[in-house]
Amino acid sequence: MTLRAETLPSASPVFGDLMDGERALPVRVALTLTATDLVIAPGDGEALRWPLSLLRRVPDQAHPTDLVLAQASDPVTRLIVRDRAMVQQIKAVARHLDKRPPMQNTGRLISWSIAAVASVALIIFVLVPVMANQLATFLPPSGEKALGDTTFEQIRNALDGSGIDPVPTCESPAGLAALAKMEARLTETVDLPYPLTVRVLDHEMINAFALPGGYVVLFDGLLDIAEDPDEIAAVFAHEVGHVVARDPSRMALRSAGSIGVLGLLFGDFAGGAVVLFLAERLIQASYSQEAEMNADIFASETLEAAGVSPLGLARMFERFEELSGDQPSLLDHFMAHPDLVSRIERAEASGSAADYTPSLTDAEWQALKTICD
Amino acid sequence: MSEALGTEFVGRKGAYFWLSLKTGILTILTLGFYRFWMKTRLRRYMWSAIRPGGHPMEYLGTPLEKLLGFLVAVVFLAFYIGIVNLILMFASFSLFAGNGAAYALSFIGLLPIIFFAQYRARRYILARTRWRGIRFGLEPGAWGYAWRAALHWLATILTLGLLLPRQVFYLEKYRADRTFFGDKRLHQGGDWKMLYPPMVHMMIGAVFGLGSFAVGATSTERAFFLVPVFLIWFGYGAIHFRVQSLKLLTNHKTLDGVALHAMPRTGRVMKIYGVGYTLVYTVVGGLLFALFILLFATIMTMIGSAAELDETFDIEMIQNLTNTPVWITTILTVMLYFTVFLMWNVLSQVFVGLPLAEHYAQTLSLQNPGALTDIRQRPRDEFAEAEGFAEALDVGAAI
Repeated sequence: MTLRAETLPSASPVFGDLMDGERALPVRVALTLTATDLVIAPGDGEALRWPLSLLRRVPDQAHPTDLVLAQASDPVTRLIVRDRAMVQQIKAVARHLDKRPPMQNTGRLISWSIAAVASVALIIFVLVPVMANQLATFLPPSGEKALGDTTFEQIRNALDGSGIDPVPTCESPAGLAALAKMEARLTETVDLPYPLTVRVLDHEMINAFALPGGYVVLFDGLLDIAEDPDEIAAVFAHEVGHVVARDPSRMALRSAGSIGVLGLLFGDFAGGAVVLFLAERLIQASYSQEAEMNADIFASETLEAAGVSPLGLARMFERFEELSGDQPSLLDHFMAHPDLVSRIERAEASGSAADYTPSLTDAEWQALKTICD
Repeated sequence: MSEALGTEFVGRKGAYFWLSLKTGILTILTLGFYRFWMKTRLRRYMWSAIRPGGHPMEYLGTPLEKLLGFLVAVVFLAFYIGIVNLILMFASFSLFAGNGAAYALSFIGLLPIIFFAQYRARRYILARTRWRGIRFGLEPGAWGYAWRAALHWLATILTLGLLLPRQVFYLEKYRADRTFFGDKRLHQGGDWKMLYPPMVHMMIGAVFGLGSFAVGATSTERAFFLVPVFLIWFGYGAIHFRVQSLKLLTNHKTLDGVALHAMPRTGRVMKIYGVGYTLVYTVVGGLLFALFILLFATIMTMIGSAAELDETFDIEMIQNLTNTPVWITTILTVMLYFTVFLMWNVLSQVFVGLPLAEHYAQTLSLQNPGALTDIRQRPRDEFAEAEGFAEALDVGAAI
């Protein structure tokens, strides 16, 4: 493209490339700054006047010195200024180079945000739990057992920390016999979906849990702090409550549904995994409360039916409370379930040990406590 | 104006490093929300660095439209993913007594949606790309692409990769023939069989690798030593195929009289990967080492100050250290994780992404650019969904 000399301003001319957004052909234009405008003069045709207050810089440009200009409210036309002196002059006089365009679509953005939050909440807190609850009862016992086997091995490996050898299970014969006696006594009146698999892990954690397929797992740490066999019987009965309600399988199904949805939300900003894991923990914790309560009710009923004092349950609660001061108070837990409170109060009121026999004899209790030695 | 129009690249590692570091930190601090802004700004930079004929490309996507598209995608996908995953997990527990099958099925169930999302993401990106003020565009056709892609993949897998050139060619042709620059349509010429020669190293690696494994397993055990050699050969072959098929496909693209010409070199791309990732590993590794030294020094200082107080050093002090509240160690771990993750992303962008873009840009030219004069603007493709599906599924929407 050539420029005819007579159209140029007399003072040393500065050029730029104008892209009019109509044709794929940049037009070489002469640039002059007046007090109010940037005058853009093509070789032929009428000059454009862009008011200085409307000049906008196209952001995040890679070229270190070139300035790519646009006019506010015109999304298409672009002007590339390469002359450094001109770039400096424009930067000095154009006040609003970096002003951003007003936000568009605010209403739509807000309504879709609400819709997204609502649908995710609906799925995670309503749809997935309801479906998981329904589906869990249809799982064949063999599938649940296999799931429990793999999960148990995973947990043993994870607890080891080093990951070299899994945490051993405790198997002193006398201890196992005591455990079997407790199991027989507590499950006599219970209609189990499948036989129990009871294990003691040689680990100092004060805990117990149930896994799909009838796993009841006690930690050695729990046996250490318990002061009498009825406390262990109470925890045992509580875990059997989870097994009967098929809570572990529900939890597995539920996390399968919700983890994918959460993955959507956080995207890949940090490999996703960590955030997903934390979010999943939160959900599981809130999920557990209702299930825990039902397991407690189940435990107190079962203990009573087996002729074991349900006071063990209350003592175990107290012990947990001492151990973890800042945990949500068990008082709340009881308040939310007056049925359980009255049950234990009744047990306390009756007071006499006459109706109950200890779940294990002293000798058996000692055998159980030393199962890991 | 009939000579070729070359492409300049003006991106700089320093500037790109600070931009991606800054936006990366903001993304982590906002639990991922800033990623829409990060992606927009990085693309603006990268696009403007590529200058065919001295005129920068321009990326016009906005963060807010990405956010909106993401929200729309979440509303739809949440149902699909939540419910489908749950049912698959149930089926997998009941039928296969494990969850591996469920993850596999869930991924296969998502595949068509992933292809769909990739096409839509490309449509969005092209609709928001301009050069010389003229918009690019891609015609709607995501479902057509999704089922074609699924079938091509199936054919490739069933023929043990022999039909890979066919898949690559026809999928690229599907996309290219629906691509516009202004009012002119891009045309993918050539033939799928032309992609066989670039595949030769991949084939050598695969055939001889499997062959030496078979020989090693049946007769001469020494043949096992050849397996890694051919694995590396296969890796080189895969990169060679990517680069050379891209080159061939580009060289057979025309836009109404304008022809594209690309000359990327496998050796150069290999070098960029090699040098780039070595640098990334070194820096991230060095960073981890420095953090470790810092931690070690802290512990030593604590022990030292205890010694000054005339306390005898015993094992309990180490135990006290390990008894630091869980939340402190958790925060430290999380911070460490994010630091490594952030540095990894930033550095691989700077040392691999940028040099690759530079190489591909500098070896690209337009033949007979005079024909560009006839091109007129095309209307804006509103496309409110942006790349929401691809973003939500983590596919194809990377910068």
